[in-house]
Amino acid sequence: MKYRSTLLASAAVGGILCGAVTANAETTLTFVWHAGTCADAIVEIARDYPDKTVTIVPALVPYGPEWHNKIASEFAIQGDAFDFAMWDSQSTAEFAGGGHAVKINDIFDNSSYLKADIFPASSLSQYGEYPDGSGEFYGLPVNQDAYGLMYRKDLFENPDEQAAFKAKYGRDLRVPETYQEAREVAEFFTRPDQGLYGWGQMGGRDYDFATTASNSFLWSFGGELYNPETMEVLGYLNSPASIAGVQAYVDMFQFGPPGSGNWGYDEVNASFQQGQLAMAMQWFYFNGSNADPAVNKFAESTKFGILPGAIGSDGKFRRQFSVGGQGMGINKYSKKLPELVKFMEWYFQPEQQKRYAAICQTGLKAVLESPDWQDLNSYNAQFSEALAYLNDYWHLPEYPVLLDILQEEVSNAIAGSKTVEAALTDAATRQERTLERAGHKIDRKGNAPEVPDTMISPVGVDAVVPVNN
Amino acid sequence: MMEKALQPRSTGRLMILGFLSPTLILLLFMVAYPIFALVYFSFHNFSALRPGEGMTWAGLSNYTYLLSDTALWDRFVFTGKFVFLCVSTQMIVGIFVGYQLQKAFRGRDVLFTALMLPMMLSPVVAGFLWRYMLNSEWGVVNYILTVFGGEKVDWLGRADAALWAAALVDTWMWTPFIILLATAAFRGIPDTIYEAAEVDGASPAYVFFRLTLPMSAPVLFIALILRLIDSFKQYDLFVALTGGGPGSATETVSFAVAKTAFRFFYTGEASALAVILLCIIMGLAMILVRHLSTMGDRN
Amino acid sequence: MSAPRAKKAALTRWVMFGLLVVYTIYNLGPILWLMISSLKSRADLFAMPPTLVFTPNFSGYQSVFGVGAARDSASSIGVFDSLVTSVFVSTIGTAVAVGLGTLAGYVCSRFEFRGKGDFMFFVLSTRMLPPVAVLVFYHLMFAKLGLADTRLGLILIAVFINVGLATWIMKGFFDGVPKEVEQIAMINGYSRLYAFRRLVLPMVRGGIAATAGFCFIFSWNEFAFASILTTTEAKTLPVKITSAAGATGIEWTQICAAGVVLIVPVLVFFYLIRKHLLMGMTFGVLGRS
Repeated sequence: MKYRSTLLASAAVGGILCGAVTANAETTLTFVWHAGTCADAIVEIARDYPDKTVTIVPALVPYGPEWHNKIASEFAIQGDAFDFAMWDSQSTAEFAGGGHAVKINDIFDNSSYLKADIFPASSLSQYGEYPDGSGEFYGLPVNQDAYGLMYRKDLFENPDEQAAFKAKYGRDLRVPETYQEAREVAEFFTRPDQGLYGWGQMGGRDYDFATTASNSFLWSFGGELYNPETMEVLGYLNSPASIAGVQAYVDMFQFGPPGSGNWGYDEVNASFQQGQLAMAMQWFYFNGSNADPAVNKFAESTKFGILPGAIGSDGKFRRQFSVGGQGMGINKYSKKLPELVKFMEWYFQPEQQKRYAAICQTGLKAVLESPDWQDLNSYNAQFSEALAYLNDYWHLPEYPVLLDILQEEVSNAIAGSKTVEAALTDAATRQERTLERAGHKIDRKGNAPEVPDTMISPVGVDAVVPVNN
Repeated sequence: MMEKALQPRSTGRLMILGFLSPTLILLLFMVAYPIFALVYFSFHNFSALRPGEGMTWAGLSNYTYLLSDTALWDRFVFTGKFVFLCVSTQMIVGIFVGYQLQKAFRGRDVLFTALMLPMMLSPVVAGFLWRYMLNSEWGVVNYILTVFGGEKVDWLGRADAALWAAALVDTWMWTPFIILLATAAFRGIPDTIYEAAEVDGASPAYVFFRLTLPMSAPVLFIALILRLIDSFKQYDLFVALTGGGPGSATETVSFAVAKTAFRFFYTGEASALAVILLCIIMGLAMILVRHLSTMGDRN
Repeated sequence: MSAPRAKKAALTRWVMFGLLVVYTIYNLGPILWLMISSLKSRADLFAMPPTLVFTPNFSGYQSVFGVGAARDSASSIGVFDSLVTSVFVSTIGTAVAVGLGTLAGYVCSRFEFRGKGDFMFFVLSTRMLPPVAVLVFYHLMFAKLGLADTRLGLILIAVFINVGLATWIMKGFFDGVPKEVEQIAMINGYSRLYAFRRLVLPMVRGGIAATAGFCFIFSWNEFAFASILTTTEAKTLPVKITSAAGATGIEWTQICAAGVVLIVPVLVFFYLIRKHLLMGMTFGVLGRS
């Protein structure tokens, strides 16, 4: 009897001890992203996370609407099926505005390593600040991206081409620094009978394909999407400068292959890789594969540069183009925040981010400022320079609606069913209605200048600043 | 075939109850809450993603807003064109092919199974595949056109061409559905009927239109109703091929519902639009079902 | 038949044959193109004119299965689990949907009762709902009931989307079986249930096979519900392997390979039921061989 009760007692104690140990058992941290090499990179790096009781589990979705829908739907039901997610930088306002993302400032306050200053201020602002200028962050830069210029250096360095160009246009052939120059170069290289076209850009209706490109023109010509102070869109989106910019964008399609008015990033890549394009607007994200001879037949002669700017009607030079990439946000309804923060403190160390930067694009200042990063490949140097010229869409929760309206109207302009002026005016009218419906008060001052950039965070300078030559 | 319907006796009644209740219970369980939520939210201003903005009673304003939007009427017109084009083509081609396949010939079974392949393909992949094949520069469709002396068509960049392109893809994918049902229906007609017709000297056309079709009409009609309902829901195809563009020229009503519900998260408005779409589909289906039952009585 | 009549008949037959050939090319051509494209490298995919002779590139299939060059790709983790899930969910979902539809279709074919029309229309109307409109509601409902990310939840969805179709098709097939069949059996002392099981059911084998085929296809390829309602535990194969975007743009090779891989189980299923598929209906007691 005594023996048995001792046995039972020791078994009970053992059980409790085991229970105590297993109480520290497996935690899974789930994240949502679209499938791709960057997601692979995170999972690969996470395998080396020293705390072996924590596993990082990917829940990957196809790139496209499903990606946004999956995250949004989970937020809508306030579920915790995933703990953190990567979403397009433009979606931060939508998710943060809905109150679904954890405020990262709290993490910054309580962590010894995770602080705002380990990321470049502009990156953190682009990928995570909401509202603009508030100093409150809801996302961290995990995959920085920017719009860039891809071109065939063999064409530009060819002496016969240079001579012919000089003869025709009276100036030296160089990688364009302004869209005005780009038009001439594109025209020069558009030779359909030889299967060569001067300029490739996106115009697709879906998602943000057309407007990331058209905005780059619009901003460079001194246009603005809206006035953040007064919430006016009319007068800004359809200002003469904006119209001139988008018109220049639409005109460039005549120097692209037929049917390119519908292009997304894939078609631009495919066309360039077949040698059809002399120049192309493309995300830095794809430069890795475009520099790979196994993918790009013309990889050896491909060079990456910074997109042109433009000389506005006020004579000033501006260079601005679209930011891309994703930020990482934390699900407010996740119950595993402490474990996640610990993982983040390890993951955002320079050692891990250096591994990540070899495949994707990191947002950690320590890595971006290191000399090895600049030399890692043929385009990182340009990328870090490009960061100075980035601009983004509206950082408002209504972003998806505003985007869809602008996409639709720009697509109309490309197809020729509306003039650029009519398209932008219609877009502005519809967007104002959307903003009002969402409760924003529009303060109609009606005093938008012809070149709105002069009024809203001006970036105009007096002379062209060459960066590609 | 005039048969009196058997009056339910006690075992009959038990059978009815027993055979119907599992289906009824399951379906009621699955649709009760979503339908209720759909109708409920259609009368409110609400966004599931921005619950902080609150939910206010909207009455019929979602409905009036939608029904007074000319852009939405354009989408209805486009959807109507698409549905009509698809369903009519699929029925005609499906019945034709089914008729050819009803008589056994060497390799018929293999051919029949092979022809089912487009229906088996995941619609997601089908969308990508046809986007690739219809590309105006390097798509194989335009290549074949040029080989036969034609010109390259910008299938996906122009609204009129895109309608035909989408109908082409939808027909490609779903004609096998009609073929399967049509073949089954035709195969059920006994040889004796055909033998008698041949003895009477009837022409093949007469046989088909006066004998085969009427006898298989009920099943064909069911196929028509099912295909009609499904084609109203089509929007994945347009996402893959055109993204709804250029402009919004190739947006179907289902596409608009998806956009409003998921991209914009205007839950109230999307629900109202879905209810409107549902009413239209139900209305059409009701007309067809009524026709079907009179057809059955006539038989 | 007179000579000109015979010639006209022969001409019609040739025209019909020609049209059938045209349709077959239209139907199978793209499938062939899918299979060929799944073996092409990206450079070959965009070559103009399109190439038929090229060195095969298996990277697409490697990415789908997570082997070879794609051994460490995160998107292929759990691909075999998702295959099992898909097979499991589709098979059971199809069996249940066909079973329920057959039973419901039978009584609606044989009996007149109050509310029959309403029942049939209700069942049909469950198919009319565009999934996007109600996805969030289903998400909430499933999360609250603990069905999110479970195989049971997916089976319920599979049955739900198919039972309307199954009921209507089976009713159509039952309508083609003369009521005399049961009447004769019952006059001879057999129960209606016996007549149903032993006499009528075998006669509608073709309908059951066709319905099963449709239900399997729709369950197997179901995407909208599966992608929203599952996260990591109960992922289905289509959601898992149709991840198209990659570092080079759209990974066409991979997506074509995924398409081919996805078709195979469906083809297998149709092969297994092929004998019954072509059985057809019976308008008379003597059917067709």
